[in-house]
Order: sequence, then structure tokens, then C-alpha cells
Amino acid sequence: MSPTESVSLVLLLAGCGFYLAGTIGLLRFPDVYCRLHALAKADNTGLFLICVGLAVLSADWQVAAILALVWMIGLLAATVSAHLIARHAHGAGREPVRPRPDR
Amino acid sequence: MTGLALDLLIIASLIGLAIQAINGASLFRGIIHFVVLGLAMSLAWARLDAPDLAMAEAAIGAGVTGALMMIAYRRLIEIRPDHDNATRTPRSRLALPIALASGVLVGVIGLAAIQAEPLPGQAGIAVLETLESTGLGNPVTGVLLLFRGFDTLLEITVLLAALLSAQAVTRQDDLDRSLTTEDPDTPLIGALLAIVVPLTVLISVHLLKAGSQETGGAFQAGAVLAACGVLLALTGRLASSRDYSPLLNGGLLVGLVSFILIGLAPLLYGQPLMALPGVWAVYFIESAMMISIALTLVLLFAGAASLKRRSRG
Amino acid sequence: MIEVALPSIILFLIINLIAGMLRVYRGPTLADRMLAALLFSTTTVAALLVLAEWMDLPSLRNVALLIVMLASILSLAFVGLPAGREEAADDP
Repeated sequence: MSPTESVSLVLLLAGCGFYLAGTIGLLRFPDVYCRLHALAKADNTGLFLICVGLAVLSADWQVAAILALVWMIGLLAATVSAHLIARHAHGAGREPVRPRPDR
Repeated sequence: MTGLALDLLIIASLIGLAIQAINGASLFRGIIHFVVLGLAMSLAWARLDAPDLAMAEAAIGAGVTGALMMIAYRRLIEIRPDHDNATRTPRSRLALPIALASGVLVGVIGLAAIQAEPLPGQAGIAVLETLESTGLGNPVTGVLLLFRGFDTLLEITVLLAALLSAQAVTRQDDLDRSLTTEDPDTPLIGALLAIVVPLTVLISVHLLKAGSQETGGAFQAGAVLAACGVLLALTGRLASSRDYSPLLNGGLLVGLVSFILIGLAPLLYGQPLMALPGVWAVYFIESAMMISIALTLVLLFAGAASLKRRSRG
Repeated sequence: MIEVALPSIILFLIINLIAGMLRVYRGPTLADRMLAALLFSTTTVAALLVLAEWMDLPSLRNVALLIVMLASILSLAFVGLPAGREEAADDP
């Protein structure tokens, strides 16, 4: 396996790790605001790592440019969606879960 | 080996999602499952080596249809505020036998298709052989416009007929309701539109141009442009109106009319009907169709007779 | 090695998605179910990008770009649902 391939494999696997963390966060976090963090942050980091890994693997500037565009638009879309969903949940009167005071 | 596991997983999730989409515990879950089904479907098309279909599915299934269902769900809540849960119709006793019968039918046809051997005289092979002489590189575009142009012409007509019948049943007071789902001055929306709208226009023109040689074409480009219009309608930048607009109606018709005129023209020179005179004609018809398809889809989405720019403030 | 790794990564991503669907069942609010759809679009994009590399189909990258661009349409349509009555509207 060439060094390029090993570098990209490491990046891709790291991306998968972030996706796994995002899914676990979506399933385990206590309320909708926390789950938003899990998705908007972890998944977009995962997408970034996968994009970089694939760009290294393809070794082509044109492909790298498209991947960069995908990642940046994805970041924008996730930001706006997370903002809108949080606004909707807030408007519906959802209170964020707070740690209990006796601990 | 992993490829096979991947395909089986995609098939299993498609079936599961489809069942959940029509049989979910509530309408809203059904909508979410349907959107997810669209995304899974585009993965399946990608696996089947059909990027054209994956692209159409991504633009229509993931973009426009989900939003359409969400809007319909909202209207349903508005119309019958007390009946949200009762909106699921009781299942008919025929449902299970019909489902089983169609499952068997699909299975038999699928098995037969897998076992059939490709015949040497098949149309698909003939298309691929003749394609080089036409100057087009994408067999899908070649079939749609050169070899089976009549089908495409009828499809455009059906789309227009769908719009006309939708407008015939739209009630007047529905037209005055707003599609806008959020205060247009929410901070991030302006930034989103400023980046996404020019990019959608760019991508759709790219798809149109690329359609002659690689993945793309009038339908994909029109769907992307329509998604852009839906985005503008949802954020309150476009509003439905009742005024007659010659420009808009011209845009609706330009695809059909130019296809018919260019298709009829060869008769004057003693050539067969719809023998397109060259690649320029393909480009011209595709551009005109893109405009018509996009406008038709946006008007269908808005359920409106016409659109106007909404004045701010 | 990399030829085996790419499909395994896609497989992993899709399994991830199916696990994420649990959130659609558990709810409890509409916003939670909406989040699962959001997870789906980001993960499908990643799967399509890897698929483009593995199957050598460059136009799949355009499909991924489209999905990313249009992902916000669904959220925009979603926030139009009346906020006050979401519990009543969706509890089975």
C-alpha cells in the first residue's frame, strides 16, 4: 500500500469515527438542543475528514475543488438547518435540560 | 463480497423505509421516512451505475417532494386542527393480498430479467453503436431527444396538462395563503440564499451543457432550477399572484412549442418527422425544456396561477 | 487494500444511518425526528462521495453537491409547522 493510500485511509477512518460519534450523540443525548450539537458538529467534521481523505486518494485538483465545495455548502446548510430547528423547538416552548441542582 | 453486503443492505433498507413511509405511526413520520427513502433511492441508483437517475431523485425526491409534503401536512393541521391523529385512513382488507400479489409479480419479473440473456439485435446496443455519428456522448440524452423524441414530447405535454388540471381544482382562497414558513428576516436565511441561489443556477446550466456528453440534461437541470424557485417561495422572496403574466406563460410554453416547431421543420425538406437537424437543435430544445420544466414545477408547488416578487417591508 | 476499504466505509456509514433511524421512532418531538432526516442527508453525501471514488463515477460528486445544496429546503418547510401543537400532533 502506497503512503498516499495509507494517509487517506487514516483520514477516512477518522471521518467514520466522527460519524459514529454523531450517531451515538443523536441516540444518547438528553434533549433536542444537545442532539443538534451532536449532528451539526460531529457529522460535519466527519464529512470534512472524508472529503480530505478522498481528495488525497484521487490526487486531482478538480476533484479536490468539488469536494471542498461540497463540504463548505454542507457546513452552510447544516448551520442554517440547526438554527431553524432550534428556533422551532424554542418557539414550541421546549426547555433545555439542565443538570439537577443537588449534584 | 463487501459489495454484495452493501447491495443487500441498501435493498433491505429500501423495503423497510417504503413500508414505514406508507404505514408509519403518524403522518409526520411517514413524511420523514419518505424523504429518507428518496435519499436511499439515490444511493441505490448510484450503485446501479445510473447517475442520471440518482441526480433526478436527489433533486426531486430529497428537495422538492419533501417540502411539498411538509406544506401539505401544515395545511392539514390548519384545516382540521382536531383530527391530526385520525387522518390515517383505516386499512382495507384487500391491502395484504394486493401487496403480496404485487410482491410476487415483481419477484417473477426480476428473476426473469436476471436470467434473460441479452439479444444481439437489442435496441440498446443499436443506440450505443449509432450514437457516435450523432455527436452526442450521453446515451440517455440521445434516447430522450433523438431516438425516442416523441416520448419526451408527450412527457412535456403531460407536465403541462398536470399544471392545468391542478390550477383547475385550486380554490381561489387557497391562492391567497402564503407559502412562506418563516419570517423572511431571520438572520441566516439571507446568507443562505445569497450563496445557494446563484450556485443552483450555475449548476443547472452546467447540467444542461454537460447533458450532451455526460450525466445531466434538461430534466435534471429543470428540477434543480425548480428547487431554487421552491427555496425562494418558501423564504418569501416569491409570492403567488393571480395576475396574468405574459412572460411566465411564455416560459411555460416555450419548451413544448420549440420542440414541436423544430420537430415539424424537417417535413418541409422531405425528411421524416422529428429528425432533428443537428446537435444545436438538441441544445436549443433542452434549454427551452429546462425553462418550461422549472416553471411548471414551481407553479405546481405553489399551487398558483402566477408568481411575483414580494416587496419587502 | 484500499479497494476493500472503500466499500467497507460505505457499509459502515449506512449501518450508522439505520442506527440513526431509531431517533425517528423514539421522537419525542417533531424536531427530534427532523434531526434524523438531517443526519441522513449528511451521511448520504459522504456515502455518495466514497461511492464516486470506488465506482469511478465522477458525476456522483455532482449528485452529492445537489443533495447538500437542497438539504435546507426541508428544514425551511419544517419550521412552518405550527410550533405550539407539536406534541398533540404527533403522539401516537
